[in-house]
Amino acid sequence: MLEELAKIPWAVIAPLILVQIILMIVALIDLRKIHETNGPKILWVFIILFVNLLGPIAYFIVGRKQS
Amino acid sequence: MNGFSVLLQKEFREAWRSWKFLWIPLVFALLGMTDPLTNYYMMDILSAVGNVPEGFEMLMPELGPADLLQASIGQFQTIGLLVLMASFVGTISKERANGMATLMYVRPISFRAYFMSKFVVMSTVGFISIVAGYSASVYYIAVLYGTFEGATLIASIGTYFVWLLFVFAVTLMMSATFTSVVATAGAFVIIFVGQIMVAFVGVFWTVTPWKLPTYGVQLIRGTMEMSDYWWSLAVTLVITIVCMNIGVLTMKKNVAMTKI
Repeated sequence: MLEELAKIPWAVIAPLILVQIILMIVALIDLRKIHETNGPKILWVFIILFVNLLGPIAYFIVGRKQS
Repeated sequence: MNGFSVLLQKEFREAWRSWKFLWIPLVFALLGMTDPLTNYYMMDILSAVGNVPEGFEMLMPELGPADLLQASIGQFQTIGLLVLMASFVGTISKERANGMATLMYVRPISFRAYFMSKFVVMSTVGFISIVAGYSASVYYIAVLYGTFEGATLIASIGTYFVWLLFVFAVTLMMSATFTSVVATAGAFVIIFVGQIMVAFVGVFWTVTPWKLPTYGVQLIRGTMEMSDYWWSLAVTLVITIVCMNIGVLTMKKNVAMTKI
């Protein structure tokens, strides 16, 4: 198990995972605070959680309703 | 400057509350990562998803660090600029349309200071974004391919930043002059159709703002004709300043368009 983990090229993968996690957390915090979104809120929760990388970005571009 | 620092604070707070300082740089970082990664693992990706026939062999081009940086800049030029412009193009026209501008315009503010505060916030976001994008791209290129020289790399980032200033000046000018829809269309046409035009006739037309991103990479390759470079840089800065002045003027003229 540990050997397999060590085989993964972490220098290549770690930044991608980091960016994905930051984007996801920020999008979820913003979703928690925002009053209203375009489309149902629960839909955006699923998009942010399950669409990798593009989900949170899509939320920031089209999901937020700017009053 | 009439209340410039107050207006600047307002703009910064607005950009901060909508997380623009965080997610736009992260988008650029992602765009910078994709090209070095996909090119490096192209063989693996092809064998994992494509129906590559048995015994199929393909000759992959030998890519150097500068080629990959150019590919990453190509990403910034399309998707990156799309995100930046889309998130800032309404910054003046939308305020007029939803009536928030009324609250600002009844006060004795200087329109130049108001315009400049928006421009400064946009350029700050743009600067952080391209630094994030470049560092992500350069990190992956350094891990997978090879390294750059520091000085030319910084010169390339600076060149790209001047190009971004031009893009922002055009975007804000459009936003000040027209309603949101027209402004979006106008700004996108100027920036993207300009890029296509330059791609067609660029060989004969060397002094133009739209070529600056390519020139930034040529600085790294060391194949740049320096007189073309300096002229393009100067022309871009002049057009940027002219666009900003037109923007301030039309913003003043269009006060009547504000919804009350």
